[in-house]
Parts: sequence; C-alpha cells; structure tokens
Amino acid sequence: MTRPRQITLAQWDDRYADLCRRGLRQTDYGGPLSHHVDDGDHRLTKLLFDDSPAALRLWNLLLTEEDRLHAARQAGKKIVGVMKDLGTIPVMAYALDNLVAFYPDGAWWIPCIMEHSTPLLEIADSLGIDESFCPVRAMLGAFVNGEHFPIPDLLVCSVGAVCDDFSAIAQRLPDLGFDVLWWEIPHRRAPDAGEPTVQLPGNLIAPKSQVEFVMGELDRVRRVLADMAGRPLNDDALSAGIEQANLVRVKLAQLRTRVFTAEPCPMPALEMLIAEMLAIHYCSDRDETLAVLDGLIAEVDARLAANDYGPMANDSPARIFWVNPVADIRVMNLLEQCGGRICGTEYLFSHALDPIDTDVPPLEALARSALADLMVGPVGDRAARILADMERFGSEALLISRIPGASHCALEGRLIADVVSARRRIPILEIEVPSISDAMRPTLQTRIEALVETAVSRRNHRLTRLDTD
Amino acid sequence: MICAGIDAGSRAIKIVLVDGRTLEVVARGVADQGVEQSRLAKELFGAVCRDGGIAPDDVRRTVATGYGRAAVGVADTTVTEITCHAVGVRRRVGDARTVIDIGGEDSKVVRLDGDGKVRDFAMNDRCAAGTGRFLEVVARRLGVPLDGLGYLAADSQTPAAISSMCVVFAETEIIGLLASGTAAKDIIAGVRNSIASRVAAMAGRGLDEPVVFTGGVALVPGMDAALAGAVGRDVRVCPDPQMTGALGAAVLAAQHATRDEGR
Repeated sequence: MTRPRQITLAQWDDRYADLCRRGLRQTDYGGPLSHHVDDGDHRLTKLLFDDSPAALRLWNLLLTEEDRLHAARQAGKKIVGVMKDLGTIPVMAYALDNLVAFYPDGAWWIPCIMEHSTPLLEIADSLGIDESFCPVRAMLGAFVNGEHFPIPDLLVCSVGAVCDDFSAIAQRLPDLGFDVLWWEIPHRRAPDAGEPTVQLPGNLIAPKSQVEFVMGELDRVRRVLADMAGRPLNDDALSAGIEQANLVRVKLAQLRTRVFTAEPCPMPALEMLIAEMLAIHYCSDRDETLAVLDGLIAEVDARLAANDYGPMANDSPARIFWVNPVADIRVMNLLEQCGGRICGTEYLFSHALDPIDTDVPPLEALARSALADLMVGPVGDRAARILADMERFGSEALLISRIPGASHCALEGRLIADVVSARRRIPILEIEVPSISDAMRPTLQTRIEALVETAVSRRNHRLTRLDTD
Repeated sequence: MICAGIDAGSRAIKIVLVDGRTLEVVARGVADQGVEQSRLAKELFGAVCRDGGIAPDDVRRTVATGYGRAAVGVADTTVTEITCHAVGVRRRVGDARTVIDIGGEDSKVVRLDGDGKVRDFAMNDRCAAGTGRFLEVVARRLGVPLDGLGYLAADSQTPAAISSMCVVFAETEIIGLLASGTAAKDIIAGVRNSIASRVAAMAGRGLDEPVVFTGGVALVPGMDAALAGAVGRDVRVCPDPQMTGALGAAVLAAQHATRDEGR
C-alpha cells in the first residue's frame, strides 16, 4: 500500500494522472482538483490535501455544487434555499424528488475559496452589512450578483433563537426582492416543574409545548414545499426522507468515531471538516453524499487495517477537539503542521449528526431534531456536549476558533472554555480566523503550536508519573 | 557543553548561552529586530559567542523561540514562547505558578502546575491593546523616549481614564486628552493601567501565586504595580525579564542535548 500523505495541489495533479493510468473510476463531476482553480478557487493552491481517491471525490463533490444546482434547474427541478436551521428543512425538501435544497449560507466560504476575487463582501458592505457581521454576509453578495448559486425558487429561513447577526443579514433579503418563508424556532428552555417534557436527540430535553410549537411551524413549511412540488409531502414521504437522512448521519458517525479514536489519525482535519458539512444538505446530492462517505470510510478502514501510516508528521500528535468551523479552511492544515491531530469537533451543527427519531410521527421527529440544535439553547448544553464528546474521543486539548462578527462565537467561546476548564483541567486555546488568514499565520501557528506543546508535555509528564508510581 | 537559546521577538532578538550541565548563563546579548531577521540573529549569535569566548561550532544545541523563530537559521529546533517563558521563569523563580509576559506585540498568561509544567495559557488576540505596542504608540504621540515613560508616570496622582480597548481608538482618545490639557504623566499612567486591565481580563480569575512578570514591558517602572492592582495579586518582576524566553530556550536546548547524549 502506498503511504498516504497530505499533498499540494500540484502534487495532486501528478497523482491524479498516475491514478488515471491505473484505472481510477470517476463520477461525472470528477477530474483533477486543479481544474477548480480555473473557476476561481485560488485558495486550493495553498492547501494541503489528503491524497486518497476518496478525498478527491469529496472535494470534487463540494466544489461542483453550484454546477449541480444549475443543472437541477435545467432539469426542471425546483430549488429551495434553506437558511440557518442547519439540517432540518433539507430532510423535508429531499423527501420530494423534484426539489433540491441547499444553504445559501454556504456562500460564507466563497471569499476564502476564491481569495476575495469576487466582490461578495463589498456588495454586502454596500448594503450596510459590513465586517462587523459574520462572513455569512457574503450570501447577500451572491444573491445580488447572481454569479454563484442559482436564485432559489423558495427561500426558507428560521428565526427566533438564531444568531443576531444572521437574522440581520437574512432580513435584508426581502428588501432586495427575495421573499422568505420565515419559521420560528424558540429558545430551548429548561422545562418548568411538572411541565410535560420530551427527550430530544443529543441527550437534551425540552418542554412538550415547545416541540408542539415547532411541529406547527414545520407543518407550515411542509405545506409550502408540497405546493411548490405539486405533490403531497405526507408522513410516508417524510419518513422515507428521514430514513435517508439517518443513513447519512449513521455513516458520518462511523467515520467520525473511527477517525477521532484511531491511533494514528487516519484522516486530516480539513477533509473531516468538509465531510461533516455533508450532513447539512448533502451538498445537493444525497445519493452521492452516501457514496462519498462510503469511500471515506473504506479508505479509513484500509489505512487502519494496514497500520503502517499516519498523515501526520508527528508520531504521537496532540489530540485536539475543535469547536466552530473556520472561515479560512487553510487553518485546518495548520493543525497537523503544528503537530496536532483532529480528535472531536463541534461545528455548530451537532444536531445534524444525531439520528432523527423514527419511533414517533415524522413531523414530531423533525421538530425534536430542530430543537436539539445547540445554537438554540443555553450555552451550557453546548459545553456539556463538548465535554461528553471530548471524554468519548479522548481529546487532550480544546481549540475554539471564533468566526469574526458571529454573535454566537463572541458570546460562547469564553463560556465554553470556562465550563470545560472547570471540569477537565486541559489546555484551551481561543483564536479568531478571518476569511483569509495568511497575514495572521505566524501568530496562529504560534498559538496552535503552544497548545500542542502543552498537551504533549502534560501527556508525557503524566506518563512519567505513572512509570514512577 | 554550551547550549544556546535565541528569542527572536518582534522588537528585539535576545540570545543566552548556558553551560549545559550547570545551566549557568555564560553569555547573553540583545539586538534590535529588523527586516533581515536571519542575518541579524546570526550576527548577534556570533557576537555573543565572542563575548563568552566560545567558538560558535562549540555550541552543542540551539533552540529558537519567539515570533521570528522560524527565521533563525542557526537553530536546531524551535519551541514556542509559551514553553520557553515557563521554563525560563522557573529557572529564575523556582516556585512560580503564574507567568505574565508582556512583549512588544503580544501578551500572555501562562499557568504552571506544581512541577513547573504548563497547565494552560491565554494569549492576546489580534489587538495590541494589552502589549508593549500600546506604550510605543503613546511614547511616539507624546514625544517621550520609551524608556522614560515609567519615570514620567511615577508622579501621576490622577491617571487618565482610557476607555478604548483598541490601540487605534485609544490613540484618538490620547489626542483628545492632550487637547483638553491632560498632563502627559497622567496619560502615560492611564495607558499603563489600560494595559494592565486588558491583561487581567485575559488572565481571568483565580491566578495562582507567585505571579511572575516577565518580558520587555516588565522593565517599565510602575508596570508591575499596575498589574498587581489589576489582577489582585502580588506581582514579582522576574530578574532580567527581557531575557526570560531566551533563557528558557537555552535550558531546553541543554535538556535536548542531555537527552541526545543518553541515547
């Protein structure tokens, strides 16, 4: 077996040619990674990639999403732009085979991937949504210039207990002529004494009345989706959609558990971030998402079985739990370059990784899933989830990356750090990552290296003590 | 066996040579940082070796730290400032439990366990408000030499309130204070307090004592008292505070060399 490595884009070109000579099987969206640079994805030239065909397929699925959405429209499918809920409405939309759902929010990565060669942020600036807001404001630019995703036939956005900055951004859309179907998600509160409760995924509970309220809201969305599709979205169809969503979630759970608990780590942090993002809306192709995840799991299993490699330069890298996705994906490479490895994540959509209940009516199951969103409840719930997952995966340090302007990050980072610090005396680092972080790279590198040094030093010290005892 | 530590900071390069067996300092030197970081570090390394009567080739092992550590060509390996300051401070103050380092471009709080190992740390974010950079800005604005700031502020009875948590905005405040006739000594004292409160906010609650203050800003008279007031703990200034990172790097170099000998 060839020893897997993290390689540059140029190295991927050579490897791609070699794989093709050896009969690489490709999908219709396949090809060398470098062809995306021709589309303006300049950031790829600065990244290090996992060198497996499974990772190539993952990247190609991610980077061809806009093409796929335009093709879906050409094929007569209706396009649903879903905003903010991260994982619930797409389950409903994909239950109808003539709908395709995606998150315009995902445009937050365009300024990074295209290295500011598209004026999305400048357009947002001109609309009064400046850099004091989360980079998801790039979405406004994409709506205005129409050069990225196709303008959706329907926009659905959750309001209520959602990020302040996101609400401000989304509320600009109707002014710009894009109608939005709003639905309300309440702040998940602790039940009052004696109040009937419902168990949610992720070991959470909520008052039954809140679940019923969200069911009503989702029922409104269901009717609109059905009208647009011209066919009923009944419980059977919803249940089938949930079943397919759970397939994705189960595969992702397998992948995460294998990667986060294995020694050495069989998949780099960057590819794991991209893979986890598939949970939200399947990168606009549910079947391909399943195939991509199968490929990644097979690759990880093969690497673990071979037991002769590690994509990391360090033999025993520090096991880092990462909180929040980064606006500049290049920073994920820094983890391995600084001697760390990914060992658990909480990227603000853990509820989309948990299987949806199948023992209750589907609309109730979806309401439970939506209410299990860690962003709609108290930060203590999020910290508890992080603590539980750190324990499960054996993480040695916590890295919290703030998204500039994102209200959740500003408020929650320090609180999560305090809770984790009180329960587990481990090193914790908080960093802020803008869309292009190159100018900050030395400072970010120093901080991550210091986190890694501290975690490894503490581990070695503990082992020395055990030896002495 | 001679080992070297090089701290390539944002404002200055510091080098310490130690006897690898006794860890006693045999030579030390400081030079201003500049554009050609690698050349400057190499020149200072040569000069410090000459001062110590040591041939550069006789230096067994060299560890570089600091912002520019990657550019230090003469180093065998690099270690971050967090670890180096912790090791350096423990060498000087054997029972230190908290290290506060304020340098030219960043500040950090390092918590140590009873064995002197780093337990946790916090560093300033992108803003320079809690760093020596803030003092440079006020020195330039007031036309006062950097090393005279502390003495000027010593006479202040009514430090100015600097409310901004950002150096750029604070500079605007300073202009306003000057325009309103506020004395330079009160402005400097206000900036000193502002830096201290910023670092205290980063440090959080419950710092273990002894708290040891290091880094170039520790040389500013009165800064330790401002810091002590802000963190609510006695604060000791580390001996030779500007050299702590380099000393820690040299001690680590000695440990590496000893470990290599044992193999």
